[in-house]
Amino acid sequence: MIEAPPRPNRPVYLDNQATTRCDPRVVAAMLPWFTEHYGNPHSVEHVMGTEAEAAVEDARGHVAALVGADAKEIVFTSGATESNNIAIKGAARFALQAGTERRRIVTAATEHKCVLESVADLAAEGFEPVVLPVRPDGLLDPDVLREALAAPTLLVSLMAVNNETGVIQDIAGLATIAKQAGALFHTDIAQATGKIPLDLTGWKVDLASISGHKIYGPKGIGALYVRRRPRVRLVPLFSGGGQERGLRSGTLAAPLIVGLGEACRLAQAEMAQEATRLAGLRDGLLRRLQAVIPGLRVNGSRTARIAGNLNLTFPAVTAADLMARIPDLCVSTGSACSSAAIEPSYVLRALGLDDGAAGRTLRIGIGRFTSPADIDYAAAALEAAHAGAPAPSIEHLAKA
Amino acid sequence: MPKMTFIERDGTRREVDAPLGLSVLEIAHMHGVDIEGACEGSLACSTCHVIVDPAWSKRLAEPTEDEEDMLDLAFGLTETSRLGCQIVITEALDGLVVKLPAGTRNLMGD
Repeated sequence: MIEAPPRPNRPVYLDNQATTRCDPRVVAAMLPWFTEHYGNPHSVEHVMGTEAEAAVEDARGHVAALVGADAKEIVFTSGATESNNIAIKGAARFALQAGTERRRIVTAATEHKCVLESVADLAAEGFEPVVLPVRPDGLLDPDVLREALAAPTLLVSLMAVNNETGVIQDIAGLATIAKQAGALFHTDIAQATGKIPLDLTGWKVDLASISGHKIYGPKGIGALYVRRRPRVRLVPLFSGGGQERGLRSGTLAAPLIVGLGEACRLAQAEMAQEATRLAGLRDGLLRRLQAVIPGLRVNGSRTARIAGNLNLTFPAVTAADLMARIPDLCVSTGSACSSAAIEPSYVLRALGLDDGAAGRTLRIGIGRFTSPADIDYAAAALEAAHAGAPAPSIEHLAKA
Repeated sequence: MPKMTFIERDGTRREVDAPLGLSVLEIAHMHGVDIEGACEGSLACSTCHVIVDPAWSKRLAEPTEDEEDMLDLAFGLTETSRLGCQIVITEALDGLVVKLPAGTRNLMGD
């Protein structure tokens, strides 16, 4: 019988697609903006306000640089869910108000819930949602998109990196197809920012959604990229003081914005090295698991995939049982974003997994603060749990 | 002399003389057409917003960043919206047609 490894001192966190630890350097950059420099960045009549405004603009520059945009094209929001809502509903409602005939909005079955729900909600306003299937490797076939664009299309929304499988879509290519058909192109880059190089300007992307807490920044902050040349226009969701070029009213959260900016600055500086390191850890973990669990399957493209992600279907044990047997290992059965619902992941089903296989699938997200020791623990614990070893008890730890 | 046509809010078409080198805003004021132009053409407001006839909009020079920034604030924006102060009449624009939008956004107004 294989024995479970001794318990670690603290939980081993391998769920970095759900959220990430806020980098201590990001926290350090944020703190003064809570305590000493607490001015309202819109209070431009006094020095406390203007210094906060300068910090916000500095952060805007870091966000823009990381995604290949101009600082003026970045609008701060509360996160990617809000950005996706503003982008999709805002673009659709503006087009309606500006008198265009186009009503079709195209997206894919593996998109984040907030994109799928935003698109679905627009059906009630007279728009025509079209949800495209993806290939078994998670990639969207460009010809499927071309076919959908045969009817005049208002907006195409496709994510750059999937939150469950880590699969990377060819955004440059898909955006070109959408633009050629005269549609606007939006992309959710919450999982791609800081993980893969992005060039929103060069790729002719019109709108893109950014999240802070997926890139070692704080929760509750994000951004929306809105192209300026040619100008993309949106109807805002919030009525208010007209901050952020009228697109997002509300006082800017200066400390969180400084944190997002610092997270982007660090990501830009460290992205290439970090990707290499995470890929090494990821590939090592996969090799060890494949050696001891025959029939283990990786879902989604192995090549078009971010470095830190594994999405694994186990041959014999359900994900829920595995997680129950390893309470010290933080992984997930699907995306945290829809984990309130007890149902198999719609993303995995879109890749062709049946409910049984989806129920035996774990998402593993390796991140900046994952150590080789964490990977050793995860490999040993998953092997033991799959072989049926029960969770180690506190007594077990005392004996060891 | 070139001519141009304003379509007023009630649908009335008014063809007027459009001297070369004058802006659509200046021509409107010459002829008593109801376009506000609160900043007198200094690109600081969007009250001279006009909707260019789609057949004509492609023939105009692209709007500048500053004009786009002001258009962002205009009410009832359309795909062929422009600021009247930024359209300057040339021979090529003889026959230009613009429509007045349903309303303007001037918080200082009555």
